[in-house]
Amino acid sequence: MKYSKTSTYSYNLHIIKTNKFKTVTVKINFKRKLKKEEITLRNMIINMLCDSTLNYPNKRLMEIQTEELYELYYGGTSYLSGKYNIIGFDVTFLNEEYTEKGMLDKSINFLADIIFNPNIERKSNRTKFNEESFQIAFSNLKNNIMASRENLDNYSRIRMLENMEPNSYISYRGFGYLEDLEKINSENLYKYYISILNSDIIDIFVIGNVNERHIKRIIEQNFSKIKTLKKPSESHFVMPKRPRLFPKVIKEKQKINQSKLVIGCKISKMTDFELRYVLNVYSYILGGGPDSKLFKTVREKNSLCYTISSVSQPLNSILTINAGIDKKNFKKTVELIKKEMNDMRKNKFSNDDIIKAKITYVNSLKELEDNPQSLLSLYAGIEYLKSDDLEYRFNKINKVTHEDVVKLANKIHIDTIYLLEGESDEEK
Amino acid sequence: MKKNRLEKLDLDLYSEVLDNGLQVYIVPKDNVNGIYATFTTKFGSAVKEFSKSRSKEMIKVPLGVAHFLEHKMFEQKNGVDPFTFFSERGCDANANTSNYKTTYLFSGANSFEDNLNYLINYVQEPYFTDENVEKEKGIIEQEIKMYEDEPFFKIYDGVIYNSFCVNPIKYPIAGTIDDVYSITKEDLYVCYNTFYHPSNMFLVITGNVDPKETINLIKINQENKDFGENFKIKEKEYDEPNKVFKELEKVKMDIEVRKAGLGYKIDSSKFKMNINDVKSYLSMLFDIKLGSTSMLNEKLKKLDLITNNIDITLVNTDKHILVILIFESENIEECIKLIEEELINLDVPKEAFERKKKVKKSNCIYRSDNIYSINNKIVSNIMNYNEVILDDYKKIDELNIDTLKKITSKIDLSNKTAYIINKS
Repeated sequence: MKYSKTSTYSYNLHIIKTNKFKTVTVKINFKRKLKKEEITLRNMIINMLCDSTLNYPNKRLMEIQTEELYELYYGGTSYLSGKYNIIGFDVTFLNEEYTEKGMLDKSINFLADIIFNPNIERKSNRTKFNEESFQIAFSNLKNNIMASRENLDNYSRIRMLENMEPNSYISYRGFGYLEDLEKINSENLYKYYISILNSDIIDIFVIGNVNERHIKRIIEQNFSKIKTLKKPSESHFVMPKRPRLFPKVIKEKQKINQSKLVIGCKISKMTDFELRYVLNVYSYILGGGPDSKLFKTVREKNSLCYTISSVSQPLNSILTINAGIDKKNFKKTVELIKKEMNDMRKNKFSNDDIIKAKITYVNSLKELEDNPQSLLSLYAGIEYLKSDDLEYRFNKINKVTHEDVVKLANKIHIDTIYLLEGESDEEK
Repeated sequence: MKKNRLEKLDLDLYSEVLDNGLQVYIVPKDNVNGIYATFTTKFGSAVKEFSKSRSKEMIKVPLGVAHFLEHKMFEQKNGVDPFTFFSERGCDANANTSNYKTTYLFSGANSFEDNLNYLINYVQEPYFTDENVEKEKGIIEQEIKMYEDEPFFKIYDGVIYNSFCVNPIKYPIAGTIDDVYSITKEDLYVCYNTFYHPSNMFLVITGNVDPKETINLIKINQENKDFGENFKIKEKEYDEPNKVFKELEKVKMDIEVRKAGLGYKIDSSKFKMNINDVKSYLSMLFDIKLGSTSMLNEKLKKLDLITNNIDITLVNTDKHILVILIFESENIEECIKLIEEELINLDVPKEAFERKKKVKKSNCIYRSDNIYSINNKIVSNIMNYNEVILDDYKKIDELNIDTLKKITSKIDLSNKTAYIINKS
């Protein structure tokens, strides 16, 4: 495997050359400072550009073309990365060796078509997206924003964050807002599109068994429309407000069978080493899997739930704990979770726990190299979050000590306890 | 041990049937770090009555028992939890139950020999007590409730329930909460002693392994274990009517967008073909007619009737194929009308049929890059054909539009059920 980074006037090109895969993946990311009112716009851009182009003026024709290109996969993603909002467009396709000559160029052209050749109409000096296609993209986003409330795990997590710190980076909804969507039309969306091409920070990632010079040439040919001047990026990391002395407890009702408990914790003043390494070890021991403290106590010993886990968000200095429970067991479950967290503070975990956490981390890094998508995230992390490379990580994780974990445990405080309460969850 | 080439995929398959009947399949892949092993019994939620060898007596067990048994295999006599074992080695472990099989698995780049021995041993050493069976009931109750709150699962379960009359595939995999509370440790042992005999199970290992060392390890592991004589299992056959159980059901949930599922129940016995091959054809047919490249999909979106593609899933028993369509729409009735109009004419353009074959071939190559997908392919081949398909391209080339025409001329799509979720 060989990594190279080339910086041009307007974008960075990252090429990860490896013969591990029969596929080639190309992804182009656009990032800018996160603003709440732009999240919905950015999601609309993805929907719009992926729905049609001038060459393929509707989704059906786009999909047929992907099948002609030997089942090329394409898509767009939008995500919040601390203080930044990143949207990306990517294609994955089979290496020519397994299809036919010329497919590499055609596949990258397809991606370029999505980004630079949108389905627009011009009328008397005004340019806007094709109205019919815009309506389809609009309805789709509207539907998905509305239906997001139906994904109870995700919805309860968002509601917890909104209660923890309303109107801050950490509680924005990544998929957007209905009230912002209503303000979008085919014309102002096109203006926003132009502003993305002119001012976002752009990174292009290519993974596969490719010829570097050839790739550079087709990228140059296809991506010359980017006019943006490359700007330096600030840190993505968010410093949340101080945790509440007494946790805020919120209960909201919904007609569901199972209640969803989400506990939000804030972590004060982590060092770089803590947020990149120690936090990983801590969260693994507390609620990282079926061998964790929470799983064993709350599920196995007390039969209170089927799912329980902790997830850390180092970018926002937050740790969340989720469980699906009966509402009558709310108090008992919270008490058990608090006890487990206290035990971590009081050094009540074994050296074996630390060893398990480290070895699991190391193994997951090894397997990361087996998959183009996870390799891509690895290099995106190095670019955006200044993450360490693999070799360095193997080294660093092994330096985490028992004391480090206890010290971190004492920086983690429960801030918000949220219960999405089932109305139909009757006492048995 | 036999060695076969998996054509066009740059992979070899090593296989052997051990003396005790256990089937072993290994596909080495040396350019990855990961290893994935699955240990599967041909026993799932749709098995409710069965007998062993010469015994004529049919044994009946409660619904949900296969899934309950899966949970309880993680209980060990020495008190060490298999999850702890695998996590000490930095590896992931899990298990899952479907209609006709239960699979135990681990993945990870470390301590492969220990892991494999342990996987086989823990699945072959059950330890059920009244106490540990009782303890599991609250956990499974929460699992069932979780799925009841997920509208797409509810539709899927609802369509299957209303499509089948007597076949137990009708019921949810975990059973109902009442079923779960009725299960005893004796039920678990009866099922275990029947379906977890090595002759009813198979191991599939994919990833960075040495096939010879691996097969030797498995043989040594099995050598000193006594499973008694091999026996034949007879599962009850159901005289499932062709007609669906119930044509329409409407329920309410706290949702934002209305949702529906349609189930087309198709009698496959008249085709004189392997039911899985019929299923391949039907899956292409519905993809071409209603999938992302279809005119209907374009039309429904332009009319703002749907905003996401129709999800198409096919399920089968020994006699029937059920095609399940699931979608969201504020105007479900109009969607159903347009879908039905589209399905009056089942002709398929040759160009589209050939293009879908190209897609299928490409997907074989994609899968061959991933040890999880390779493993899944082998497991599903064994379940469907009782052998591994060595040349997927050949199988795809054999797909023929005239055969599709013959099939479509004989299917009756008026035999259907609709399950609708309205907003409460």
